Amino acid sequence: MSEIKTIQRKLNRKFGGAVKATREDDLIRLTGTLSTWEDIVKAGSMAVSKDKRKVHVVNDIQLAGADPVPVRTPVLKDDALEGRTPDVLIIGGGVSGAAIARELSKWDLDILLVDKESDFAIQASGRNDGEVHVGVDLGKGSLKQKYVLLGNHMFDEVCKELDVPFRRIGQYACFTQPYLKPFVTLYSKWRKYHDGVKDVSIVGREQLHRDNPTLNEDFAFAMYNSSAGIVSPYNLTIAYAENAVQNGVEVSLNTMVTAIHNEYGTIRSVETNRGTVFPKVVVNAAGVFADEVAEMAGDRFYSIHPRRGTDTIQDVKSNKIIHTVASIVEVNKAYLTSHTKGGGLMQTVHGNVLAGPDAVETREKENYATHPESIRTIYTKQQKTVAAASPRDIITYFTGVRAPTYEEDFVIEWGRKAKNLFHVGGIQSPGLTSAPAFALDVEKAVVERLKGSMTVEPNKDYDPHRQGIPELNKMSPEQREEYIKKNPDYGIIICRCEEISKGEILDALNSPFCPPTIDAVKKRVRPGMGRCQGGFCSPLVTQIIAEHAGIQNADVRKCGERSVQLYGKTKEGQA
Amino acid sequence: MTEQTIVCITCPRGCTMNVKQDGDEITVTGNSCKRGEVFAVNELTHPMRTICSTVSTAFPESPVLPCRVSTDIPKEMIFDVMKEINKVVVKERIGRGDVIIPDVLGTGADVIATSDLLK
Amino acid sequence: MNTVNTDVLVIGGGPAGLAASIAAHDAGAKVLLIEREQRLGGILKQCIHDGFGLVRFKEKLSGPEYAERFIDVFKEKEIPAMLQTFVTESKKTDDGFLTTVVNHEGVTKIESKAMILATGCRERTAKQVSIHGTRPAGVFTAGTAQNFINLMGELPSKKCVILGSGDIGLIMARRLTLEGAEVVGVYEVKSTPSGLTRNIHQCLNDYGIPLHLSHTVTRVFGDDRLTAVEIAEVDDKMAPIKGTEEIIECDALILSVGLIPENEIAENLGVQLDWHTKGPLADESLMTSVPGIFSCGNALHVNDLVDYVSESGEIAGKGAAAYAASARKAAPKAVDLEAGENTLYIVPQKVTLPEGDASEKTIVYFRSKEIFDKSIFRIQNEKGEVIFEKKYPFLRPPEMEKVLVDFGAFDLANGGKLTATIEEVTA
Repeated sequence: MSEIKTIQRKLNRKFGGAVKATREDDLIRLTGTLSTWEDIVKAGSMAVSKDKRKVHVVNDIQLAGADPVPVRTPVLKDDALEGRTPDVLIIGGGVSGAAIARELSKWDLDILLVDKESDFAIQASGRNDGEVHVGVDLGKGSLKQKYVLLGNHMFDEVCKELDVPFRRIGQYACFTQPYLKPFVTLYSKWRKYHDGVKDVSIVGREQLHRDNPTLNEDFAFAMYNSSAGIVSPYNLTIAYAENAVQNGVEVSLNTMVTAIHNEYGTIRSVETNRGTVFPKVVVNAAGVFADEVAEMAGDRFYSIHPRRGTDTIQDVKSNKIIHTVASIVEVNKAYLTSHTKGGGLMQTVHGNVLAGPDAVETREKENYATHPESIRTIYTKQQKTVAAASPRDIITYFTGVRAPTYEEDFVIEWGRKAKNLFHVGGIQSPGLTSAPAFALDVEKAVVERLKGSMTVEPNKDYDPHRQGIPELNKMSPEQREEYIKKNPDYGIIICRCEEISKGEILDALNSPFCPPTIDAVKKRVRPGMGRCQGGFCSPLVTQIIAEHAGIQNADVRKCGERSVQLYGKTKEGQA
Repeated sequence: MTEQTIVCITCPRGCTMNVKQDGDEITVTGNSCKRGEVFAVNELTHPMRTICSTVSTAFPESPVLPCRVSTDIPKEMIFDVMKEINKVVVKERIGRGDVIIPDVLGTGADVIATSDLLK
Repeated sequence: MNTVNTDVLVIGGGPAGLAASIAAHDAGAKVLLIEREQRLGGILKQCIHDGFGLVRFKEKLSGPEYAERFIDVFKEKEIPAMLQTFVTESKKTDDGFLTTVVNHEGVTKIESKAMILATGCRERTAKQVSIHGTRPAGVFTAGTAQNFINLMGELPSKKCVILGSGDIGLIMARRLTLEGAEVVGVYEVKSTPSGLTRNIHQCLNDYGIPLHLSHTVTRVFGDDRLTAVEIAEVDDKMAPIKGTEEIIECDALILSVGLIPENEIAENLGVQLDWHTKGPLADESLMTSVPGIFSCGNALHVNDLVDYVSESGEIAGKGAAAYAASARKAAPKAVDLEAGENTLYIVPQKVTLPEGDASEKTIVYFRSKEIFDKSIFRIQNEKGEVIFEKKYPFLRPPEMEKVLVDFGAFDLANGGKLTATIEEVTA
């Protein structure tokens, strides 16, 4: 029996004929109507082909009675980009788009990066746990597995070049059942010798507890990966983007692609709210919207089904409970069928404790609302990892939305019906780890393609090094004194919780690309990230931004164009 | 005869007082001091309140200067007095106690500065 | 790098730190005050409402007026202060403390014999009271809103909901109304108000702002700016009751959900904290568990009136000066003072007993756990003997009580324990 018939039969059994599966060229299209989103996702997962590297599920099943979810669109409307003819147009300012832009900037090319949001890393790249994964749970042959191994090895160098804090803190997957030890040992050997996960080892009870005295004492052993690390995902994205800008990449934020004109299999023009551009090559790094960009280009051969996850951040004061990445592995049915085995408890590069994430399928690609149930789920699980993990120490929490395909793998390839469109889709965990590696492959592919129609020379001025902003609170008193003597603003502390000076805030505002918003400054140099969550410093930061940008306090936004903080002066005639 | 409960706002103690009115005669019980009785009688006859706010200044580093009325004003005039306060722009480096608006709206109260922050 | 030395180092230039500096100076100590902001006065700079100083000055002053009275004295006495200066590290040395500070001139090391921590408190945030939903602009703590309005002259809301009936929340309800904003209502999760009764009257009732007890905000809405909040009634365990949810359109959520003493410097120095007050455990001179470190004001425990903040500053200032001059002998006898039944907390938590006949009354602050009518506050020893007793017509948690106790008048055993209790007397 053909595969499509088998799939149809399975779907019929489950949904009683409400879903129709059709094989078109190299995709499986699902149509019909179902009454819950969970069922729609389930149908999508059931339709995954055995040949899933090539054949993807396109899920067109409608949700009964539901209106389409509106997309957040920029307010800005002008013609700043009208008629631009970049060699490469990159859609998306997350870690994928930023890393690709930076790698492409080695070449003397006209590169334009657009993102509909008001800063880099606003969506998934700014809303994840920042773990640099080892790929121990990924199947051989997947793109995830290929790039996670390559990417993990690149992190030391990339983070050094980009001056981004990165620490290899190791990861423990902890087990309570001693009888599982032989199986997990075998599994780890298989991963090591067959799949190339070289750093894996098994740690016995005694050593585990000696090295990690806060872990649940019931743990019998753990699988340990020494190369697991942590990085700030938004700092890495911003660093990539800044380096790209330094090397000549043009960035246009608040810029949304609204239409793509595909003529006989080639994209001729791309419409945005800032005008129409005519690129030679388009890179689709649009995260959760990658399938929608593909659709605009007439080249949708995969579907993204958003999956949200919430993480919590604990006060630095509580960081004695963990100095590595650790999580309990509860071997049960839920574990074996779950797509999120990662996460856990970890100490972030900034010394906080991060707990999470959970995983919930959602229809809404941009709904970042948090829910009390998520916090409960996270702590119910992680208190089994470290009993001292307490929701009382939480200072904040956030939700991100992952962008998986039904095949649960990356889509990194040229378009099928738009031959100058390169897809970087389905980028979810371990996307952050993989980005440095796949960005190099995208660079190669794009340059090779461009060479067919133009000469591509190296960018003579390319400099892979980006200078981060000095962190005064990490310096010795002597070094700090030296910095303050040179710039007295480094001695004026604005954020008392994170000990951030006015000088560092001004450095952020003067960096190669920093929108004049509270959140942009917060992401770059951390005022407001501490336990008071900006209660004390946000008025001061507002004033520094306003003064620096030459705007009114009321014109300083929290994040996006619409996120008004202040409504203007309370009195007439105020100075 | 009418009877009502009034919470005294004269001091943080916040006594709950029972006030009986019989014609012109007002009896107050539950107060801990004489000021409470005065307050209660005022509440029934002509309630008085204070206002604390800010006035605009001509100095960008201190865009507003705290102020208040020097003595209580009739409660119903609060928003009228606020309008007057909102019109002012302080151009001199005045200090604590200095009069910003004398006898505001004929209430007998001055609007005075309550900080030396411009000095 | 500069090194300076002093007898008493005061950290924080708000009402507690100012009073402590003046008292330590008057007791003959060499004092240095460190303030992280540009101006002295602490949070009082933005508390432009009146009601300060009734106890001390018998006058109704605004916050700046109250603070500036102390600042005037402080300046008159020429007590040195380093402004816009931030403590980055403080550690114990053999003969005192070494504190590192930074300001625009560079890094300074300060050697001191004693330290007074007058670091105030901070506000509980939205995430600390488990508010979920989106993360738009328009969620402010009452103090942040107060800063925007009273110091910057900027309006943070045109129509808001206030969560929490703490005094700052009530004061801000009136303040926002006076500046032209609409306050839809104040919501309080507890079944009783958190703020002073008079503030409910003069800040809410006077302006027709409703107070909804046993209600909380469960969610906020809005991707960019807040567009609405969901409120719900809560049960007696303060859990939202399903089906009582209501959406209220507004542009801001202002939070007055509690204050937490700031004790990060204290904790790094190994000072033990009281989980009731969230401030250091202190003796009657307000010395903490680390000899030479004193605590006062809202860093010690959250006070209801600034008058008491200044008072505790003075106690700490005197104590620190005596310690620095080594006039303070190791007390031969000390007893613990514990918050017992119906008592939310008590300060100090330890009392050293004077030697011989010397008898000095000790200032004791406490709060009741709940609202009580006619009640008796008692301090008893382990045997149940009453050391102190006072009758109250009523006790309310928002109102801190102060009593003077003559511990020396009793023959208390060293290492003993005294317990404070409140008994409601039913009529």
